[in-house]
Amino acid sequence: MPTTAARAPFSRRRLLQLSGASAAVIALGIDARAAHAAPPPEAEGMFSLGVASGAPRPDGAVLWTRLAPEPLADDGHGGMPAQEVMVRWEVATDEGFRGIVAHGRALAQPALAHAVHPRVEGLEPGTEHYYRFRVGRELSPVGRFRTLPAAGAQAESFSFGLVSCQAWYHGHFTAHRHLAAEEDLDLVVFVGDYIYEYGITETNLRRQGAEVGAAHRVEIETLEQYRLRYALFKSDPHLQAVHARAAAVAVWDDHEVQNDYAGPLSDTGIGEEDFAHRIAVAYRAFYENMPLDVAALPEGPETDITAGFDVGALARFSLLDSRQFRDPEPADAVEQHREDRTILGAAQEEWVGERLAGSEAIWNVLANGVVLVPITEDRTDMWDGFPAARRRLLAQMAEASNPVMLTGDIHRHVAAEIPADPDDPEAGRLGVELVCTSVASDGDGAVTDGYTEDWIQHDYVKLYDGRRGYVHVRLTPDEMVSSFHIVEWIEADDTAPKQLTARFTTPAGEPRLIPA
Amino acid sequence: MTPRPSRVVGLDAEPALATISLTWDSLGFDPLIDHYRVYAVPGESALAEPEESSLLGKTVYPRFTHAGLDPEGETWTYTVLAVTDAGERGEPSEQVVGASRPSVTATGTALATIGDFDGRTLEHHLAPASYAQIPTEHPDRVVEYVDGTDEPGTAWPYLLPGPGDAWAGGTAYRARWTLALEAVPTEDHDLALWLVDTTRLGGVLRVGANGEHIADLELPAGATRGSREGDATVPGSPLRRAFLELRVPAALLQAGQNVIELELAEGGWVAWDALGLFARE
Repeated sequence: MPTTAARAPFSRRRLLQLSGASAAVIALGIDARAAHAAPPPEAEGMFSLGVASGAPRPDGAVLWTRLAPEPLADDGHGGMPAQEVMVRWEVATDEGFRGIVAHGRALAQPALAHAVHPRVEGLEPGTEHYYRFRVGRELSPVGRFRTLPAAGAQAESFSFGLVSCQAWYHGHFTAHRHLAAEEDLDLVVFVGDYIYEYGITETNLRRQGAEVGAAHRVEIETLEQYRLRYALFKSDPHLQAVHARAAAVAVWDDHEVQNDYAGPLSDTGIGEEDFAHRIAVAYRAFYENMPLDVAALPEGPETDITAGFDVGALARFSLLDSRQFRDPEPADAVEQHREDRTILGAAQEEWVGERLAGSEAIWNVLANGVVLVPITEDRTDMWDGFPAARRRLLAQMAEASNPVMLTGDIHRHVAAEIPADPDDPEAGRLGVELVCTSVASDGDGAVTDGYTEDWIQHDYVKLYDGRRGYVHVRLTPDEMVSSFHIVEWIEADDTAPKQLTARFTTPAGEPRLIPA
Repeated sequence: MTPRPSRVVGLDAEPALATISLTWDSLGFDPLIDHYRVYAVPGESALAEPEESSLLGKTVYPRFTHAGLDPEGETWTYTVLAVTDAGERGEPSEQVVGASRPSVTATGTALATIGDFDGRTLEHHLAPASYAQIPTEHPDRVVEYVDGTDEPGTAWPYLLPGPGDAWAGGTAYRARWTLALEAVPTEDHDLALWLVDTTRLGGVLRVGANGEHIADLELPAGATRGSREGDATVPGSPLRRAFLELRVPAALLQAGQNVIELELAEGGWVAWDALGLFARE
């Protein structure tokens, strides 16, 4: 867990802690100015998994690609030979790449599945940039990102998309098609379940027109299987379009490893020492496939995906890990209500508390994998299973102006005003929670279902919609406008038009969801 | 560039019913091990170099269960090697010979059975996922099954719930299996209780015959998936089979009607594969 609010852009100390060989691997995957590699293989289609950018800062971002001429090769290496390949990248302020403002090289290596994560620095803040990669003579698709506003600058607005739960096999990524077409988009926030670990069989393959080979039919456990699963999901053109459209940040939930795992514990009885091996390869595959800073590269079964960044003086984002450090599912109500029970772990609680207390931003945005507001006592996988930890986080959020929680997990659009004190209905509200529905998980869905009453029984829940979609959020100094988009179907094809099912305005200083 | 993984050491083969459990020493996390490859050839034969045609399976864990072996018992020769994140393969381990223990389902003569010993719950009532109806159909928390009259598909629910199952009332369920023997047994018999899965809670299955206690069987922790999936033989299935077999003293049995009683006294449900009472040959 970082102990300071700002993360060092490239932690030399962390690199030096690693063994020599590992450090070299990582360093070259980020910056390989001085390295030499054999001529690239003659294969075509190196960029079949697209491009991405992430970890945005006022002066740059992390760029990502993973070379894979045969993205669905069973061994998870994407059809790449067991050799290093030099990848060149360039960044311009125009789509035609006439004004190149940065360029460099990174070494794609077999140990990281030929993924590269170069960090671009020295760019102008608050500026739209275009980037692309080159291997040999092959050029990648062009991606875009906008650098964050300069520290302390008063940004007029900042817009982001909110998505989660991409069960590729349950349907088409129509939501991503529409999100990628949003004109006003500075960032995409993935709040978990980017992949699913389940075997893909005829019983759950609801994406019509899709077929998968035998390698996809089993629950994934090995590194090659996790790599292959990311490749399958990332082969979707609409997901690639979203990544190419704007920088992305991501937290995970459970399915990046295994359904309902908690800290070091499996939900299916796998011994803790054994399960550490699965966590290690799952966390590694997450790093390899996302545009993340090097701090998210795991050491064995441990890593740090928390991150924080400021959007000028407008907003402070804090990305939380609500899986790796959580206590086990409670055996009974006494354990559930224990004061020392934690979902973030002590170090992360302290870190987010410092970020909130020290923030001068107008909007203080948190993102995590599971729903914060109280719904029912038996939803122990969400913050309902950690009431004492929720009280502590709510107290920390109350110290900051305009706290907002971003969440996914439940495959339903939900918008809620966060009660200041869950035990006191008269205590008012302290912030807002925006829960995005799934991109694909659970297939077509319906507006209401058997769970609706559990949620709308609370007067602080202002929206429930069980169809697929995404949320678009626009922040200005005066207000936050959250737009909940849905698509009517995803199983048959990707042609469903987008519909606005609800839009709310949250005035700065007023923690409410006002229908707009 | 990247190091070759170390050779796997500590390979051990533990015999069990219809399975051989392999374990070895973890190679740790640096370099990151993508998976271990387990090679096997039947019998006590020497593997010169492991061939891909004898690849038994891959696992990220430093253990592997060779399941689905012939209940009569099988002998295999194993070797394991590691593959790194870069795809580098290590040297194969030393070879180890393992043998599974024979099951009474193969060595004995079946006197009465419920279901097929096949790794599936599917032939049982309400399988593979309609467990929610069990408390409704058995409000007294007792399952009655009469050999020769009842059929598994209509009278034997695929789960026997336990106190850890809130959905079933959080109480111990009992199954009473009535079967007829032609004569007073002169030799001990064997009871085979094969499970497709158990819950993460594990538990205790209390076994009795004709009102006399025989044993409290410890249930291993399972995958808690057998309530929703019914076939443990699907490649990669997370279901965790368990094979419980125990002696039934001849003195507890009688000519004519006998009742085998099974009570899930502690923990969560068991998902039945099959049950059988066997005479020794």
